[in-house]
Amino acid sequence: MAVYDLEEQEQLEELKTWWKQYGNAVTIAITIVALAAAAWQGWNWWQRKQAAEAAAVYVGLEQAIGSQDAKKSRELAGALIEKYPGTAYAQMGALLSARAQVEFGDSKTAHAQLQWVVEHGIDAMAKDLARLRLAALLLDEKSYDEALRQLTTPPQAALNARFSEMKGDLLSVQGKKTEAATAYGAAIASLDKAPKTDGPNPHAPYREMLQIKLDSLGLPVAAGAAK
Amino acid sequence: MFDIVRNNRRVVQVFLVLIMLPFAFFGVESYISHLGAGDDIAKVGDNKITTQEFRQALREQQERIRASAQGRQIPPGVLDSPEARRAVLDTLINRHLLSDYARKAHFTVSDQALVQFISSVSSLQVDGKFSPEKYDAIVAAQSLTKEAFEARLRQDIVLQQAAAGISASSLTGKTSSALWVNPLFEEREVSSSMLKLDQYLSQVKLAADAAKTYYDAHSKDFEIPAQVRAEFVILSQAALMNQVTVSEADIKAAYDSHQDKYRQGAERRASHILILADKAAPEAKVAEAKAKAEGLLAQLKKNPKDFAKLAKENSQDPGSAAKGGDLDWFARGAMVKPFEEAAFSMKEGEISSVVRSDFGFHIIQLTGIRGDKGKSLADVRGEIEIELKQQAAAKKYAEAAEGFTNTVYEQADSLKPVADKYKLEIQQTGWIAKGVAGNGLASNPKLLAALFSDDAIKNKRNTEAVEVASNTLVSARVVESKPATSVPLADVKDAIEKQLTHEEARKLAIKAGHELLIRLFKGETVNLVWGEIKNISRINAEKMPLSSVDAIFKSSTSKLPSYAGATTPDGDFVLYRISKVTPHDGTGDQRTKALGNQYAQIVASEEFAAWLAALREKAGVEINQKLLETKEEK
Repeated sequence: MAVYDLEEQEQLEELKTWWKQYGNAVTIAITIVALAAAAWQGWNWWQRKQAAEAAAVYVGLEQAIGSQDAKKSRELAGALIEKYPGTAYAQMGALLSARAQVEFGDSKTAHAQLQWVVEHGIDAMAKDLARLRLAALLLDEKSYDEALRQLTTPPQAALNARFSEMKGDLLSVQGKKTEAATAYGAAIASLDKAPKTDGPNPHAPYREMLQIKLDSLGLPVAAGAAK
Repeated sequence: MFDIVRNNRRVVQVFLVLIMLPFAFFGVESYISHLGAGDDIAKVGDNKITTQEFRQALREQQERIRASAQGRQIPPGVLDSPEARRAVLDTLINRHLLSDYARKAHFTVSDQALVQFISSVSSLQVDGKFSPEKYDAIVAAQSLTKEAFEARLRQDIVLQQAAAGISASSLTGKTSSALWVNPLFEEREVSSSMLKLDQYLSQVKLAADAAKTYYDAHSKDFEIPAQVRAEFVILSQAALMNQVTVSEADIKAAYDSHQDKYRQGAERRASHILILADKAAPEAKVAEAKAKAEGLLAQLKKNPKDFAKLAKENSQDPGSAAKGGDLDWFARGAMVKPFEEAAFSMKEGEISSVVRSDFGFHIIQLTGIRGDKGKSLADVRGEIEIELKQQAAAKKYAEAAEGFTNTVYEQADSLKPVADKYKLEIQQTGWIAKGVAGNGLASNPKLLAALFSDDAIKNKRNTEAVEVASNTLVSARVVESKPATSVPLADVKDAIEKQLTHEEARKLAIKAGHELLIRLFKGETVNLVWGEIKNISRINAEKMPLSSVDAIFKSSTSKLPSYAGATTPDGDFVLYRISKVTPHDGTGDQRTKALGNQYAQIVASEEFAAWLAALREKAGVEINQKLLETKEEK
C-alpha cells in the first residue's frame, strides 16, 4: 500500500488539488442535501404522528356517535378540529359529526362544523361536500337565499349533479317549477356526460331518482332538458 | 476490466456515491417497484395494476358467483363478459385510488384499534368471546402468516375508514328527501280507454316488396351458422382406469406399508374422581387435595368395586360425579394431556394412581377400549384398489399423452389408429353450430376453433389433441358438415310481413292516441268509453305497465281532469283520464321513513361515486384495453 507508482502519485496529487478547489462546495452541497432529506423525513414523521393521534380521537368519535352520545361526540369532534386541524381526520370528523349532530337535534353545532370544513378543509372535494350539506340544512330551515349562496361557486366537476339537484330542490319548494326543471335537467345532463365504461353504471339509481323529481314537477316535457 | 476501474478511479468513486445515495435515503423498494412493468393492465397515478393481479381478482369474483349460484346453471358470459371484466377492473382501480388517498392522508390503524376490531369479529368468536384458536385456524386457512394477515386487515380497515369518511357522513336534508319520497306516494285516480292494436291492423298497407327490403336489410338475422357432426376420442385418466389392473400382492403391500393410516380412531372410555386444585391454588390447598386423592386411592385399592360409589360421593367434577364418574367414550385430543396419556396407557378395568392435571388430581378407571385394531385388509381392500388404479392410470396417462398427441397428428385421416393403440372408444357428437356455445366438449373454444378450421372440415383431418380439462386430451374429426347459409326469404316472408304490419299498426295507434289527447286537453268532447276508476301511486300501481305509470305521473295536474297516454308492451295505446290527485304529506309513517332512508343511501353512494371520480381524475387512470380483453390461455 505504501508504495505508489508514478501514475498513482500523479493521480493523488490531482485529486488533492481538486479537493482543495471544490472540497468546500462539495461538503456544503452534501450537507444541504442531507439536511433537506432529514427535514423531509422529519416532516413526514411529524405528519404520521399527528395522523396517528388524530386517528385515535376519530375512532373514539365514531364510537361516541355509534352509542348516541351527543356530548362526547361534540367534544371529540371539537378536539379533532382544534388539535389536528391539518389532518384528513379533522375534516372527516367534522363531516361525520355534523350529520350526527343533526340527528341529535343540534343543528347549530352541525352548521359550525360544516362551516369549518368549508373554510379549513384540506381538499376541494370535502369543502364542496360541506357546502352541499350546509345548503341541505339551510333548505330545511327555509333560509333559501343563504342556501343558494353556498352553491354559487361551481364545485368539482364530479359533484355538478348533486349541486344542480340541490338548486332544483331550492327552486322547487319556492314554487319556481320551470327553473327547478332546468336545474334537474342539468343534473341529469351532467350525469350523462360522465365518462362511460363497459362496467355497471354507478350513477343509475341516482339518475332514476332525479328523473322522478323532474317528472313530479308536472311540466310539459320540453321544459326539462332531459327526455 | 480492472484497468478501467483503476484508470478512472474518480469517476468510479463518484458513480458509486451516486448510486448509493438513493438507497440511503429512499430504500431499495423504489428501485424494485419499477421493475417488471410492461404487462400492466392499468395505471392508477403512480401505481400499476398488473395482469396477474387482475386475473387473480377476476378468478376470485368468478368463484364468488359460482358459490352464490349454489350449483344452479350460470348463464355463459356472466362469468367472463366484457362487463364483468370491466367491473372487476373498476373495483381494483377504486381500491388503488382509496389506498393511495389513505396513504397520502397518513391514515393509520393503531395496534389497539386492530386488536379491538379482531376481537369484535363474530366469526372469530366462540360463545360470544374471542377465540385465539379460531383466529389461528382462520389465518392458517388463508395460508398467510399472522403478520401478513394483520397487515392486510389493517389495510382493509384503513380503506373502509377512508370510504366511510365520505359516505357515512352524508347529510341529505328532510326537504330534499321529501321532494323524492312524496311523489312516490302521491295517489292519482285514473280511468283508462284502450285503442287496441288489432283495430289498426286492417288499415296497414304494406308495399309489395316490404318483406324483401326488410330481409335484405337484416340479412344477418337470417343466417344459419355452419354446422359439423364429429367423432372423437378422449384420453383421460378416467378412461384408462379400466385398462389397468392391480394385483392382490400390490394391495397387500400397500396395506402393510400404510398401517398408520388404517389405524385411526382409537377410543377410550373411563370414569374418574376429581379433586379440584387448579394451577394457581396455594400450596397448602394443593397438598390438602393431593392427600385427599391419595386417601381415596388407598380405599379403592382395597375395594375396586366401590369406584362408582366413591366417585358419586367425592368427585368434584359435577358433570360426571352423578354418573359414578363416567366420562363416556373419548378419542385422543379430547382430554387434557396428562389425563389422556394415563388413559391411553392403561388396560381395561385398571385403576390409575393419582394423576395431576391443570384441574386438579384425578383417579382414573379405564372402562373400555375400542378402535385400536383399525380396519382389516378386507375392510379397506376396495379403497386401496381404487387408489392404486388411479395411480397406475395417472402414470399410464402421463406416458400415453405424448404418443396420443403424435398419433392423431401423424395418422390424421382417421381416429381408428389412436383408438386401437390406446383401446379408446370412438364417440359421436350431435350437430354443433359455429359460434353457439354448447355443453361438454362443444364448450371448449380451442377444440371448437379446431373443428371449424378448413383443415378439419375440407380435409377431414383429425384435430390436434386438445387438453379440454386437466389430464384430459381430446382429438376430434369431422364426420359431416353443413356450410353457413341463410333462411330463404320464402320461408320467412309471412313472419316478416306480420311483424311489419304490427309495427305499422302500432304507429297508427300512437298517432290516433296523440290526436285524441290533444283534443282532450283542449276540452273537446271526445266519444270514448272510460273504464273503472283506479287509485294508483308510483309505488303501488297495480300491475300497470311501467310506461303507463310514467306517463300518468309525468302529466301536469294543475287542471283536472288531466290526461296521459302510453303504449303497452303488447302494442295497444292506452289513454288515461286523471280525475283526482291526493298528494302525500310526508308525515312520518314507517313507509315514508324507509324510503327516506333509501334516498339517503342513493345520495350517499352518488357522493361516494363522485368522490372516487374526482380521485380518479386527479390521479389519472390509463387502461390497457387490449390486455383487458385478452383471455387467459387455457
